[in-house]
Amino acid sequence: MGDTLAANLLRKQLKELTKHPVDGFSAGLVDDSNVFEWQVTIIGPPETLYEGGFFNARLTFPKDYPNSPPTCRFTSEMWHPNVYDDGKVCISILHNPGDDPNGYETAAERWSPVHTVETIMISIISMLSSPNDESPANVDAAKMWRENRDEFKKRVARIVRKSQEML
Amino acid sequence: MSDDDDSFRSGSGMDEEDDDFMDEDDDEDYGFAGAEEVPKVPYKVLSKEDLDAARRRALREVMSVLEVPEDVAVRVLRKYKWDVSRVQEEWFAKYDQVRESLGVIDEEPTPSGRDQEHCLICFESYPLCEMRAAACKHFFCKECWRGYISNALASGMACLDLRCPSTECKRKACVPSSLVMELASPEEQAKYAAYMIRSYVEDNASMAWCTGKNCENAIECLIDRGPNEPMDVICTCSTTFCFNCKEEAHRPVSCETVKKWIQKNSAESENMNWILANTKPCPKCSRPIEKNQGCMHMTCSQCRFEFCWLCQGDWKEHGERTGGFYACNRFETAKKKGEYDDEARRRDNAKASLERYMHFFERFDAHSKAREKARVDAGKVSKDWLEQLADITKTPTSQLKFINEAWNQIVECRRQLKWTYAYGYYAFDNADRDNDVARQKFFFEFLQGDAERSLERLHEAAEKDLGMHVTRARNQAEPFDVEAFQTFRKNLIGLTDVTAGFFNKLVKQLEKGFGNMEADYAGQVDEDPGPSTSADVVDVSKAGPSTGPAAAAKGRRTKKARGGEEDMEQVRVL
Repeated sequence: MGDTLAANLLRKQLKELTKHPVDGFSAGLVDDSNVFEWQVTIIGPPETLYEGGFFNARLTFPKDYPNSPPTCRFTSEMWHPNVYDDGKVCISILHNPGDDPNGYETAAERWSPVHTVETIMISIISMLSSPNDESPANVDAAKMWRENRDEFKKRVARIVRKSQEML
Repeated sequence: MSDDDDSFRSGSGMDEEDDDFMDEDDDEDYGFAGAEEVPKVPYKVLSKEDLDAARRRALREVMSVLEVPEDVAVRVLRKYKWDVSRVQEEWFAKYDQVRESLGVIDEEPTPSGRDQEHCLICFESYPLCEMRAAACKHFFCKECWRGYISNALASGMACLDLRCPSTECKRKACVPSSLVMELASPEEQAKYAAYMIRSYVEDNASMAWCTGKNCENAIECLIDRGPNEPMDVICTCSTTFCFNCKEEAHRPVSCETVKKWIQKNSAESENMNWILANTKPCPKCSRPIEKNQGCMHMTCSQCRFEFCWLCQGDWKEHGERTGGFYACNRFETAKKKGEYDDEARRRDNAKASLERYMHFFERFDAHSKAREKARVDAGKVSKDWLEQLADITKTPTSQLKFINEAWNQIVECRRQLKWTYAYGYYAFDNADRDNDVARQKFFFEFLQGDAERSLERLHEAAEKDLGMHVTRARNQAEPFDVEAFQTFRKNLIGLTDVTAGFFNKLVKQLEKGFGNMEADYAGQVDEDPGPSTSADVVDVSKAGPSTGPAAAAKGRRTKKARGGEEDMEQVRVL
């Protein structure tokens, strides 16, 4: 029952996104038979360090979507304070409110069942343009972002170039 | 216990002790259990029903003072940790702010003109009557609400603060509990109600669940405690624990020490230290190898590599040029050059620190186990033995209470004693380098030693002597030796109280700390006769049974008179 709700909802979103693509990313299934595993390409947002890059990522939805959030993992090389070494994206909306001892009262926006592939991608794009170094997933990247911006820029320029070569 | 107990005890147990500590003890009057007025119990045990009633009382008060529905009362009480007076203060001082933080908003008008709405979760449209919304009027279909609610209920206490799922809902409207109850399954409803009760205990600074297995009681602290101040409590289910840190009761040791000690004991790091101190890795396969004895020619049991223990080089290279097979001098020369120095020193240090830890842990562990044993024995004694004894000695069981008291004292003292080892491990670790600390350590060990010796005697008496009397009583061939039993009784009562005295003193000192020792004891520590005093203690009490009354009389001469002294004999003698 929950299974079909999730699958229906995802299929509906896929159809919508194919018909009306959204600026900034493109999305599709990794394998047409599995609607829970998405392949997305994020276009580095203009006027940011990531401009010009094409970053691939996987969105993996749980069976109880939309009540639980998907996980997002970059498959392209990434260098960002909120992205773990293994590519996993760590942003507040991909966490359940129940995971936080402060619950619903915190300022940061948590997962809600109204989120869709589109709103998630918009959040990730906005994460690329404004890293949050308060609670970094990648401590080294956060430190470099804070203390050695030039080095950070160089490092990002390198992954942008690499992502272009992979096209 | 009454005062006459005290004077009896001071006589029988301690009259020969002329050392300064004991006098100090008497003057300050804390050498004796019960000498002080026990303050009113600082906590209360609440059953499931009491809890529910107390929670309702708090809710009712807030509802009537704030003039809010129960839903809002629950949320605001949770926010301020169920502190009713704080709720009232904050609510009236920062009315808008508090309401906003809780998502309490005035009901919005229902969107008019449309009888169909899109559910923002599943994107289907439904007639409005099939949909639900919080006060913010963001509508979702019942099915999606159900999923949202049951997911929240599954993820913990935060479900008590459920908010509208819409990202458009800028004020994050709270979801009324009526909506939760309407759509949740019966099991989920029960869960929601259970979270309500849990919140009353777990979000409440003056409440804690009893840590006993299967016990559903909670403890309410009735006094103002400082932050992190330990407080031993005992539940009606007879579980004892520390209200502050929820570990087992550990007075007089601080919660912080207990936490460190427990971590240390459980941490694999101690094993790692041992491996580091006693083994070297096989130079080839890196498996740790312990060398107990024997020559330096090692063969790894894993990879069969043969090597020299000293230099960890291949054994094949060990010949004339390295100084012979069994006299590897490469280690020595290398050591001289400092090449191996750091590693060897580190290994030595680790070994020394490990030995020190082992010393404390062994004792901690031994007393811990002894306490468990004593607990079991105490239960057995009061259940089986007392009645038999009462039968045979023709004494009412109330007259045999002293035996229970002795056992309770043993259990409690074992517990205190074991924690003093955790204390000792952390408090005096730089005694080697600091003279003051060394003197404090000496004094601590002196108090601990007295307490420990006294406890061992008490435990032995309660275990062996009592066992002997019981066996004799059961074996009805010979008549029961009433006189010997009376002597035993006096002895045990004396020992119980002497032990209590030593422990009180130890506990007090540990709680006070050793920082101000000079001021506290005005230099008496230096004149301390040390071990000989302790020997006196042993002798006196060993002699206890035979010299009891005489010693008591002597005690009366040397001590300040206490009230009720004259009644002593009546109380003591059957």
